[in-house]
Amino acid sequence: MAEYINVGSVDEIDEGDAIVVDKEQTGAEDDIAIFHAEDGNFYALNDTCTHETASLADGWIEGTEVECPVHSAKFCLKAGTALCMPATIDAKTHKVEVVDGEVHLYPSVPATQA
Amino acid sequence: MTTSQVPEASTCAPTPPVGQLPRPKEMTQMLDVSSLVDADGGLIERSIYNDERIYKQEMARIFARSWLFLAHRSQFKKPGDFFTTYMGEDPIIVTMDKKKNIRAYLNSCRHRGVRVCRADAGSTKMFTCTYHGWAYNLDGELQTIPNQQAYPDDWNPKDWGLVEVPNVQEYKGLIFGNWDADAMSLSDSLGDDMKYYLDAFIDRDPEGTEVLGGVMKWTLDGNWKLAAEQFATDWYHVNMSHASALMVLSPTGKGPKPEIASTPGRQFTSEHGHGAGFPTHPKSRFDAQTVHEYYDYDFLRERLGDDRVEGPMTTGHATIFPSFSYLPVNGSIRIWHPKGPNKMEVWAWVLVDKSMPEDVKNAQRLYNLRTFGPSGIFEADDGENWSEIQAISEGFITNNTSLNFQMGIGNEHEDGTYPGTTSELYSDAAGRGFYRQWTKLMNTPAWHETKTRPAADKEEN
Repeated sequence: MAEYINVGSVDEIDEGDAIVVDKEQTGAEDDIAIFHAEDGNFYALNDTCTHETASLADGWIEGTEVECPVHSAKFCLKAGTALCMPATIDAKTHKVEVVDGEVHLYPSVPATQA
Repeated sequence: MTTSQVPEASTCAPTPPVGQLPRPKEMTQMLDVSSLVDADGGLIERSIYNDERIYKQEMARIFARSWLFLAHRSQFKKPGDFFTTYMGEDPIIVTMDKKKNIRAYLNSCRHRGVRVCRADAGSTKMFTCTYHGWAYNLDGELQTIPNQQAYPDDWNPKDWGLVEVPNVQEYKGLIFGNWDADAMSLSDSLGDDMKYYLDAFIDRDPEGTEVLGGVMKWTLDGNWKLAAEQFATDWYHVNMSHASALMVLSPTGKGPKPEIASTPGRQFTSEHGHGAGFPTHPKSRFDAQTVHEYYDYDFLRERLGDDRVEGPMTTGHATIFPSFSYLPVNGSIRIWHPKGPNKMEVWAWVLVDKSMPEDVKNAQRLYNLRTFGPSGIFEADDGENWSEIQAISEGFITNNTSLNFQMGIGNEHEDGTYPGTTSELYSDAAGRGFYRQWTKLMNTPAWHETKTRPAADKEEN
């Protein structure tokens, strides 16, 4: 089983909010945004929008989608799929697990392998 | 409570508001308006209300250098909250940055000039242009643009931030902006005397004030000065223009008694063009009953002094030069936005004391709508008069016939009770003061005419 990082307890990220885990800390190719979606679950994507330089963690979370705060591209939080223009490239997902109220991030492990 | 200053804006947007490409002199020719206004003699030449060149000069010499009301502090609670308005005809975004400072930017993309914020108010992380996607953060910095690799290597997004209003200051919740970085402070511009009258309205409650709901907006045919001047100086019209409204509101249905209709009172005129008038007859007030019963008048007498409670606290009118006006009686604060020489847009808020219980706030809101909302029984009377003046102003003979501002000439003095220069309530003193200031500014080159232009600087370096 791959290594995880404990990024904090579930109480530390409000629903509809997101935090950023620095790539220095994860060794991943990009900073990772962890979203507390409106379905109550936690999801992680590469923080930088696949369209232009923008932090998806700063975006608007609606349901299980995030809208980029800069050019309004939308991504599926579960699969990273680019849902509308101007984004045409999917966002990379990372596996997240909640264990005993703690949020565990598996950097660079795709969410689908959970 | 003291004057609070919004922290000095940072210098993140290095673009000065005017002048990368200097305009030829012929395009910026100014008129000498001194023969159009005889403030001492009380005569006004009518063309100041409809002449295109005068209007353009007002944009450059009045609106580009005066303190203009932007928004109320209570409209901003968290970073990213924004409100869009105008300074003159310039579109403006007012927002709270991440450090919770209030900042104001020209709402126009640096690329092709589209407004980067199209909403009236809301909350955002970024102001993104809908045309090509240039995106600016809350500090006005150009954060990202699509396809940046196509620009020259030495092209720096830092040079293309939103143009920032360099001077934003606050007085007791009222936030004003000024394009002149070296302008006299808002506090000095109001002066202790105007603050005395203004505080009678906005400093009754130690907790301060807040606006209720959104902004009511409507357009009127009429030059912006017709409204600004009336709120500065004109109690005279009340018994005539508002006769039917006064009858409806009076307990007998017949209108106010003679001693109230001819109430004594004072009218204040400021050396900076502001004006305020108020009756002093104890029964010359028509505030909402619920609000009247809510107030603890002993407390207010202690806080504001008897003279203020018996004068400017309740009924009256005022304009802070050039285009911000208010009515204490129903908590109306408003801007007269110029929209060409012949048109104005009225933006009106309902301002209430923070400590008021909800039912009192709501009573004031309803009373405001009934009297001075867009369909208010008083408001409609005023708008009709202003539009009537404007409707005939293209007549050649009409427009060459001077207007009369002579009421109360010679009776301005310091009365020892109410601060500053005052006259009788029924007077044009503050109107003369308004146009004296207007003439002074119109005939004095503004900062953007006298400073070295940046393009010239670059050539020299």
